[in-house]
Parts: sequence; C-alpha cells; structure tokens
Amino acid sequence: MPIIQLNHVSKDYRLGTLTSLKDSVRNTVRRLRGQPVKKRAPFRALDDMDFSIEQGEVVGIIGNNGAGKSTLLKLLAKVTTPTAGRVAVNGKVAPLIEVGAGLVPDLTGRENVFLNATILGITRADIAARFDEIVAFSELESFIDTPIKRYSSGMKIRLAFAIATSVEAEILIIDEVLAVGDLAFQRKCFERMEDLIKGRGNTVLIVSHNIRQIERMCSRVLLLERGQVVADGLPLEVADLFYRRSNEKISAEHKKSLEGKVHKYSSGEIELVSVDLLDEQGEATDSIPSGGTLRVRVRFQVNKPLQKPEIVVGTHTTDFFYLSASSTALIEDRPDLDVGVHEVEYIVPSFPLVAGTYCVRFAVFDQHQRKVFTGETLKIFTVLPTSLEILDAPMRRLYLPTRWRINGVAHNSPMPVPAQAATT
Amino acid sequence: MLKIARNLYEYRELVAELTRKDITVRYKQAYLGIAWAVLRPLALMLIFTLVKSFVGIDSGTIPYPILTFAALMPWVFFQDATAEGIESVVKNSALVRKIYFPREIFPLTAVTTKLVEFGISAFILAGLMVWYQMMPTAHILWVPVIILYTLLVSLTIALMGAAINVSYRDVGAALPILLSLLMYASPVIYPLQLVRDKLLVQQAAGEWSDLLYTIYTLNPLAGIIDSFQNVVLRGLPPDFSSMLPGMVLTAILLPLSYRYFKWEEAYFADVI
Repeated sequence: MPIIQLNHVSKDYRLGTLTSLKDSVRNTVRRLRGQPVKKRAPFRALDDMDFSIEQGEVVGIIGNNGAGKSTLLKLLAKVTTPTAGRVAVNGKVAPLIEVGAGLVPDLTGRENVFLNATILGITRADIAARFDEIVAFSELESFIDTPIKRYSSGMKIRLAFAIATSVEAEILIIDEVLAVGDLAFQRKCFERMEDLIKGRGNTVLIVSHNIRQIERMCSRVLLLERGQVVADGLPLEVADLFYRRSNEKISAEHKKSLEGKVHKYSSGEIELVSVDLLDEQGEATDSIPSGGTLRVRVRFQVNKPLQKPEIVVGTHTTDFFYLSASSTALIEDRPDLDVGVHEVEYIVPSFPLVAGTYCVRFAVFDQHQRKVFTGETLKIFTVLPTSLEILDAPMRRLYLPTRWRINGVAHNSPMPVPAQAATT
Repeated sequence: MLKIARNLYEYRELVAELTRKDITVRYKQAYLGIAWAVLRPLALMLIFTLVKSFVGIDSGTIPYPILTFAALMPWVFFQDATAEGIESVVKNSALVRKIYFPREIFPLTAVTTKLVEFGISAFILAGLMVWYQMMPTAHILWVPVIILYTLLVSLTIALMGAAINVSYRDVGAALPILLSLLMYASPVIYPLQLVRDKLLVQQAAGEWSDLLYTIYTLNPLAGIIDSFQNVVLRGLPPDFSSMLPGMVLTAILLPLSYRYFKWEEAYFADVI
C-alpha cells in the first residue's frame, strides 16, 4: 500500500482580498432569498493531481514559483484541506516547512527546544534524551539559556534546524531548508539531511529550487507546472526537462522585453529586409544547441551603390554586452554592392556559449569607415543546454571543448569535442 | 465526544508545553512578575468598595470587600480566558500556517492558562478570609467543579469567537467590550441575593418577575458567581436553581460552538 496517495486532488484559493463582514452578511441574505451572489474567480493552485508515493521513496518536487509545490506540501502536512479529491497519508508526518515557525523570542534556547519539539510531535522524554545532541549540533552550548530574541538570525536557524531534524517520523517533508547558516554549517546540514534520507528508510519529500541538490538526493522527481504534474520520473530526465522549459520561458520573456529595444541607425543607403537564424538544413529556427553551429542570414536592400563596403555581424547578450563580432574588412576581394537586395551569411562552426538568450547585431560601413547602417537586437535566439551540460560546472559563460590529464593519464570528457581539437 | 477526549489525551504534552510558554512569556520581563495578575481584581475590589460607601449595597452578613472579591475572581477568570481564547488562533498564525495539530488546542490552552492567575487570586482571597476571620466549610470542595464549569462557558464563546476571528478580526475587538458590559448584568458589584429579593420575593416586575429572573440566570456567570460565594464564604452548597438555566444554555451551545470551530478549522491556514 502506498504511504501517500493523492486521488484527483484540486485546491482552489479565492483571489483578491477577503470580503468584509458587511459583504458577507449581504451575500448570506441574498443566498437565503435565492438571489444570485457575486463571486470572485477562484485560483486553482492544484489541478487534478493524481499520484502515489511508496514507503522509502525520496521524492523531489521541482517547478517554477507558483507551480503549486508549497500548496502540495501543505496538503500532505494536513495544514489545509483539498477543494476536491482525497489525500491519504498513512504515517506520521514531520513537516520541516520553513524551520523556526514556532520559535518564541522571549523564551531561552532551552525552553524553545522543548516547546518547538513538542509542537513537532516529539514526546517530552524523547526530547530530554536528545537535548544534548540537539544543542551540540546547533553549536549553541554557551547560549542555550539566553532568550533567543538576542540570538543572531543564523543562531536561530541553526537551533530550529537541529530541533526539526531530530523528529522521528515515517514521512519527512522538507521545504527549502537545506542551506542554512555559514558554509561549515551548511555542510553539516547536508550530512544530516543525507543521513535522514538514506539511513533510516524514511519516505522523504523535498521541495527545492536547487535542482542539483534534488538530483543528488532523490530517487524520483516530480515536475509541477500550474498545479499539475507534468513529469514524473528519474531525477536526471525530469531535471533536464525542467531546464529546457525554464530556458524557453526565460527567452520568451526576454524577447518580449527586448522587442521595444531594437537600436537601429541607417543613413538611408541601406534598409534591412530580414535577419534569420538557420539550422543545419538551412531552415529558419530560433534556437541552437550549446556548442552547435551558429548560422545567421541577413537580407538587406541597397538603395545607392556601395564600393567595397565593410560588413560586421556579431552577437550580444540581452543586457548589451558585446560577445562576438566579425568583419569583412580583412577580405581583400570583397564585392561592391549594387542597388537591389543582397544576402549575407555569417557562420560560426561551434558557438561556444552556455545555454541562454542572445541577440544578433549587424552593421555596414563604407570604404572610408563611414557608418551606413547599425542595428542591435535584430534577432533574438536561444542556446539550448545539452543534457550533459547540466551536470557540468555551473559558474561560467563559455562552453569550451576540454581535454583532461589526471596524474599524467589522459581522460576524455564525454563533452563533444570538435574532431580537429581532439586530434591535436 | 470520545474523539475529543482522545485528541486531548494525545496532545496533553503540547497543551502543557504551550500553557507553560504562555505563562512564562507573559511575565518574563516584568519586574513585579506574576503579581500583576492579582492587581486587577484587587484594584476593582477597592473601587467597588469605595462606590458601595456612596450607593449602599446590602451585602448581607458578609463584609462587602471580600464578597465582591469572591465575585471578581470567577468573573475576571471568565473574561480574560474568553478574550484570550478568541485571539488565540490568530495570535498563533505562524504555527497555523505551518504545522498541523488539532486547532482547538489554541483556545483550550489560552483558557487553561488563566487558571494560574485564578490560583494566585485564591491566595489573596485566603488572606482576606483570615483578615475577616472566616472559616471555610467542607462545601469549599465544590470550587474545582464550579471553575471547570466556568472554563466550559469560556470555551463555548472562545471556540466560536476564535473561528470567526480568523476571518473577521472585528470579533476580537468587539467581544471584550461586550464582555465588560456583561459584567453589569452579572452579580459582581451587587450580590445575586438582591436580584432574587427584587424579582422572586417582592415580584417587582409583576407577573413578568419569574420570567425575568430566569432570563437573568440564563447568563451562566450569575449562577457561577453566586455559587462561588456560597461555597467559599457562606458555607452553603451551590444554589442549583440559579445555575440551571445557564447550564442548559451552555450544554446546548458548547457542542454547536465546537462543531462550528472544527468545520471552519480546515480553512484557517488559507484565510488567516
């Protein structure tokens, strides 16, 4: 029998402010008379959720803000009830939803340990037995008889975390509490969490925006979107999907915000017709894979013949940081351009940038370096992450082919390395 | 009913711990500490005694100061416990939003906390009794029963009030005012005997007198205060005839109030 079972669970919240007593009374009178009542549109936080979790599973829950993660945890912790459907939880739940919910500023650390642990459902005898361990873990030995209103925020969180993780329960619910305190304490917290998760065969639900953590700790991941489970499976696959979806969302938002920001200057001799991104087959596209070929095609109308004009194509980030630019100035035999429509293609065999949103810029100068045309944000495109890239180091802008030698032995990274680079 | 009892037993440690917290927090940084708890009934007693010297209230054989103090003890307990109970759920909104346990624990804790102050007032009362050289009789053993009944009356209002207060904070503001008005409809400043004499003996309101007296005693506090004075000061058993209407009313309203609270409970976390 599954330890947690959700049967077509939905949860609505009413939007807007609470009705005043006056409105409520008026509505009640109307209802009694059988007249129509003004209703506010409900907000569906969870929409027909249906899944079950078995004993001992460690399940990560990911999704954007507002996807319904916290509402789901609240339902499982019995803090709130579903609007429709049924939630069955067969075991004691220990909710670590925001540590420190029950700390009382006026009480000392010691008093708070007993109070907070009782609130979390630990018996007095158990707390007394574990008291020293809790204090030792939180590193607050010398402050334990000080009212916690005089604690620093880090001290408070340490205490709360130590209390919360000493709960024995079949089901552990953890919401964004994994990283607290300074680096050394964070490390301790992680070890404690992993111990809780791996050591005792508990069922664990973790909500976090730290996908890497989720991947590491969980055996199964649920991806939520607008109150629905859109993916349910192995951590790597679901996280990969999540990355793709977030990138799409980010680039869509960027496009929207950049649309009004096209910077263009033209002397009138040239008019832009189109700027396109092409894939391997020469079809127009909006995205390329990380490390893939970047191929930009610019079509423009020349109104007055230009002798040996210099053409520049480049890329920049959405905040106008110039990334690359290449010019035809070095090409001796570049052609003159007559009146009519012309087409230029700019091809970078391996575009070495990490996943994200980028823009194309384009400029034309005449042979005396006079500005004829410049334009920025002419085309917005997305670089998609590869599934391998997600596992790689996070802090970087460039995606470069790499080779490794460890203790003199060559190791090949599974990252695709262009053939030429690999042989040298 | 059985389920309520089981719940309470299961969460007894939590109730104890929350009660301890409420008491410590209230007096932690006060220099006079818990002495504040008895200041209010004492001050009221002095004021009433002063007023009595102008107006003239017949207190029978019992000295007026001790009679009114004995009335103020259950009254203040009832008023504070109810007001605290109504605010209890909203006050603990951080917990309500995060952790589940039966929510009636909040009003229950708030009400029981007030027993401590009642206990301290009892020492003052004992002191007054020594001063006036009054000996308690065996009837004083009724006190726990009377106080338990007062507690149930408080809970009746507190459960309903706390649930409404989650959605409409007006209740938390309005009910204490209404309660302080109720004091004048309760035999605090004057003994119940005066009302009894006027209505039952002299039939002051004509044929309506008996009905009016029943309506007056529908207020459970009328019976409670009179009985408390009976068992402590007069050495008499409680007067059940004056307690009955209030008891019937409480017996009807308490289950309704509790049911309403449990029904609203599911939405506390969403609305609070």
